Amino acid sequence: MRKYIFPLLGLLLFCSHDMFLKLDTYFLEPNTEATIQLFNGTYDKSENAIDRSRMRDASLLGNGVRTAVDSAQWSEKDGATLLHLTTGAPGTWVAGVSIHPRKIELEAEAFNDYLEHDGVLDMLEQRREGGLLEEDAVEEYSKHVKVLFQVGDERTKDWNTPLGYPLEFIPLENPYDLHPGHELAVRLLWEGEPLANQLVYVGYQSEAHSHGEAADHEHPSEGGETHSHAGIEEHRTDEQGIIRFTLSEEGAWYLRTIRMVTTQQEGYTHISNWATLAFGVGQGHSHDDGGHEHADSDGFPATVFWIGSLVLLVVLFFWFRRKK
Amino acid sequence: MKALLTLFLVFVPLTLLAHGVDASDQAVLDAGGLLAYIWVGAKHMVTGYDHLLFLAGVIFYLKGYRDILLFITVFTIGHSITLTGATYLGIRADEHLVDAVIALSVCYKGFENLGGFGSKSPNLLAMVFLFGLIHGFGLSTRLQSFDIGADGFLAKILCFNLGVELGQVAALIPIVFLIRQWQGHKTYESFYKAANTYLVVAGVALFVYQVYGYITS
Repeated sequence: MRKYIFPLLGLLLFCSHDMFLKLDTYFLEPNTEATIQLFNGTYDKSENAIDRSRMRDASLLGNGVRTAVDSAQWSEKDGATLLHLTTGAPGTWVAGVSIHPRKIELEAEAFNDYLEHDGVLDMLEQRREGGLLEEDAVEEYSKHVKVLFQVGDERTKDWNTPLGYPLEFIPLENPYDLHPGHELAVRLLWEGEPLANQLVYVGYQSEAHSHGEAADHEHPSEGGETHSHAGIEEHRTDEQGIIRFTLSEEGAWYLRTIRMVTTQQEGYTHISNWATLAFGVGQGHSHDDGGHEHADSDGFPATVFWIGSLVLLVVLFFWFRRKK
Repeated sequence: MKALLTLFLVFVPLTLLAHGVDASDQAVLDAGGLLAYIWVGAKHMVTGYDHLLFLAGVIFYLKGYRDILLFITVFTIGHSITLTGATYLGIRADEHLVDAVIALSVCYKGFENLGGFGSKSPNLLAMVFLFGLIHGFGLSTRLQSFDIGADGFLAKILCFNLGVELGQVAALIPIVFLIRQWQGHKTYESFYKAANTYLVVAGVALFVYQVYGYITS
């Protein structure tokens, strides 16, 4: 049930209007300040910030405790909405945001284009088969996004706890227990039940400078660092609402889907629910935004260097004293 | 024993060091506005052992506070030029390579202090200015590794630079004080030779480390 889409379609999907919760690094230290970014646009670029009044829910889940995010923890920067937090105890944490439904009216051609660009291909096909391509649309849409991030080394069990969003991805394994080359199964839930036969797109972003793998598509990010994107994988959920895919590389991985149906609800022609899930795959080493870390955290332990330095200094000191 | 304690105090604060630019710094910058840039700039300087080792080497060589002020000012002008200019213009290089050159500057200073150049020692003030430019480029490369955003770009650069200067002053005060205090002690010559030999060794070690980092990255 899987096929690879050509990079051209991948490019189209990068122009979509998804929402993602994401981090610069998905591996954080306990009890340190961190920022989770809420992007509305693509995984790489946020087109606009999300007003806090639009959020139906914003939650952090860690060590078995779900905490509502205070609106004061949010700020805005360059079109993105930023959630500032201090990481807590070690564990695999979940953050989620669900926004209230909104209404959008589109003329037929614009609606068809949007269905194609955002990968809502089943609805496009349905309109094509039904001879409805000339019909304008009034859509109610809402978005539900999650991110899994790892604090410290300890794995905890919150990664598969549903947040209760209408449309929601639930991994069947903790991604932070997996390494490149492993397969990950993820279940898609619609109102708490497995959603079968639903298109899901899977993508990842690796740091080209540090991971060095060839990629189908690359471009400079806003920070000037080159990121790499592999071709977007298209999957369709099975009868249990599950997709399976191989985590081929280290980096940031994300899933996205849009469930759209027609409706008889007054004033609307369609209802859509959007869901995304992001997480990191790697060795747990942290990256700043495109940069390297230095001796303190990326390889050579600074304490070893300095203890060695001190020993060397003392030895040299006594050696020169004796020589004198 | 007193000499050992002083030795410890001079160098142990540096054990907390290294370039601590990480996701938490990015979070501080995202949350804190211009003051956050001052803070992160100061933190980077205080935890940037290669910058401080070089400055310690410069201070070892100087005789009086007037000279120290002059040379530190020249170093500051040098690194401010490249820190501000390169960041504003978006000029950057592989940071392992830049840090490798900075490591060589540490090695150079220790070697010079030990009389390695004999009577043919290059003009120190010019060399401090040159190395200031290189250190500033390293600082710029690090600043550019952050997601600074487009808003108030120049102000953020200048605030980071200000933070670097404040961090430099904060780190130099105890170093200058302790070196000056030790200069009157009978063990100073041994300390001087030990410390500058250490600078040579540390510079070479950091250089090898950065080159290795460049190759493996």
